[in-house]
Amino acid sequence: MIELTLQALFSGLLAGGYYATVAVGLALVFGTMRIINLAHGELVLLSAYIAYAAESRYGLNPVMAIPLALLVVGTVSMIVYALLSRIRQDREINSLILTFGIGIIMTNGILTIWAADIHSTTNPWFQDSLVIADTLFAMNAEIVAFVGGLALMAAVYWWLNHSWQGRAVRALSSNRNAATLMGVNPRQTEILSFLIAALLATFAGVAIYTGKTVFPALGHVLTVKAFIITVLAGMGSIHGVLIGAVMIGIIESLTVTYLSASLQELAGMLLFLVVLFVSPSGLFGGRRALAR
Amino acid sequence: MTRTLATLAATVAAAALMVGLAGSVAQAKDFLLGSELPLTGNLARVGQGMHEGIAVAIDMANKAHAGTHSFKVSTIDDETSPAKAVAAVEKLIGEGVVALTGGYGSNIIGPASEAAQKAGVVYITSGGVTPDLTGRGYKTFFRINNTDGYALAMIGLVQQMAAKKVSVVYLNKEATSNLAKQVKETLGAKGVAVTMHEFDGSTSDFKPLVNKVKLQDRPDVIAMVGYENDYVGILRAAKVLKPDVKAMVGVWSLATAQMAKEFPDLMENVHGTSMLPFPVEFTQPEALEFAATYKKLFNKEPDYLGQFGYVQTRLLIDAILRADAAGTLASGGLPDELRKTDAQTLIGRVTFDAKGDNPHFTHRMGQHQGGKVVLVWPKEAANGAMRFPATPW
Repeated sequence: MIELTLQALFSGLLAGGYYATVAVGLALVFGTMRIINLAHGELVLLSAYIAYAAESRYGLNPVMAIPLALLVVGTVSMIVYALLSRIRQDREINSLILTFGIGIIMTNGILTIWAADIHSTTNPWFQDSLVIADTLFAMNAEIVAFVGGLALMAAVYWWLNHSWQGRAVRALSSNRNAATLMGVNPRQTEILSFLIAALLATFAGVAIYTGKTVFPALGHVLTVKAFIITVLAGMGSIHGVLIGAVMIGIIESLTVTYLSASLQELAGMLLFLVVLFVSPSGLFGGRRALAR
Repeated sequence: MTRTLATLAATVAAAALMVGLAGSVAQAKDFLLGSELPLTGNLARVGQGMHEGIAVAIDMANKAHAGTHSFKVSTIDDETSPAKAVAAVEKLIGEGVVALTGGYGSNIIGPASEAAQKAGVVYITSGGVTPDLTGRGYKTFFRINNTDGYALAMIGLVQQMAAKKVSVVYLNKEATSNLAKQVKETLGAKGVAVTMHEFDGSTSDFKPLVNKVKLQDRPDVIAMVGYENDYVGILRAAKVLKPDVKAMVGVWSLATAQMAKEFPDLMENVHGTSMLPFPVEFTQPEALEFAATYKKLFNKEPDYLGQFGYVQTRLLIDAILRADAAGTLASGGLPDELRKTDAQTLIGRVTFDAKGDNPHFTHRMGQHQGGKVVLVWPKEAANGAMRFPATPW
């Protein structure tokens, strides 16, 4: 029983790492622009497919595809930003509709280019097992994704709190008018946030390609999961995203172990509802989540 | 007199020829079939596979009946949505299709075929195996495969392995749950200890589930009932945790060329249902033509989805031609004509019972061996020896 519980906790922690890596980009963009980018999951997926193309066509290690994937995802992100920046009124609701539409276009674009087959890395190293104390099991891909994701999130956290640009992002999130009066260029800051989110999406996409399977309909699933975690964390809270994602990962994993795998989504949603019931603005929410 | 007789004979002959020609021109018809399939969404891959098989059947029928009849198919993407499938069926019927071929997913085929039944239009499929679909007793609903055929194959293989304990890991959808329960009941009745583990379609990390199987069940065989991404997740988890099992067995979408190509390390020694070995070994003339047409249209080897899509559409076209020749097509005689079907096809003998089910459907089991799929069950269909015990790790 202890073995089962430990493995469940370990698996939940690693799953939470995946979730957090996907969700943190969404949270960052929301924090700066008050926009829920419903095409975020599709950006992650696009990165995964670039990794697939690089591996299947040129025999590249998926990790080596990150620069190319970043270029493509960053460019698409800029197009999304350019379209979003044209919205003049009711930004929150109109941006939801616009990004949802962009997500559908991207899904169908991926379907047209790469067909509907499922894909994952064929590099055996990523699938090899890492065993800790003969009790905890994981794939190398999961460990790399967790450690890499954690490092990226720590870097974003540091950047937000210790760099001038990061402070500008937080200032914009806190009070847009005041930040503009203090010399912050909102457009530049928003573009920067979108590019950082693209970087996170790129890493998440390659991580998913190496540790899970990818298929065209996955983008929407990732967006929904990221959205739930972002709301659970408190809209715009970066460290809340990590904690919320790990909580969801662990509760799902424990549900699989002690109840049924078919109830894991339900368990995650129950946790989500309980947290919102107790704290309506999420775990670390509030109007100035990014500012903290 | 002789001249008059000769003129008369020539006139009669010319008239007969004209009547004959006119008759054959009158019989030449264009038949429009409808197809509602998931070409996008979660079931896009399987939907596209069936779509390819339908296209092959249409191409072959046009070639076989060139100059007399022509066949076209109007296809609408149901986006893996039951509501959109109903709308697609209604739209196709509005376009005047003779019958419908396609559909994937029991939960989608259910309402879609109901819409066809209300309009009195035939709906034939191979994409939904749950017993509930034929249990409705619709006159216009037909399918060429069913849960029984898949369950028999899985059960047969497990019995051949003489397994004493089996853990069934299954997706909580209608068709997969029905199949898993049938396997449990049948194996249980034969004295095999069966434990059941249901999972949700959103599950991507199967380690906690496989760990439970490894530490608590300790089975001889893990039986998987799901779809491609589920199998990959389960097999990856099993490869990491290495449960002490003798075999990994699954059903559809597993023992395929695509899986062998995409996941070579993961698939080795894994069993799944498969009508044909890979590389494909066709011997019958129809099968050879099917394979050649498939290759011509899609530049790849045919897979089981294409095979099923082809067979259902070929049987439909045959019945349409029979009903047309009998003059009953316009008066709703197609369902009766389909019920008269008794044909040897690429998936074996097909007939339809009163509910529209094919009682002869039995699948075969293949095993991934060195990048190939070798048929290992039943013995009379086997083209190689089963590796047992053997797992991918």
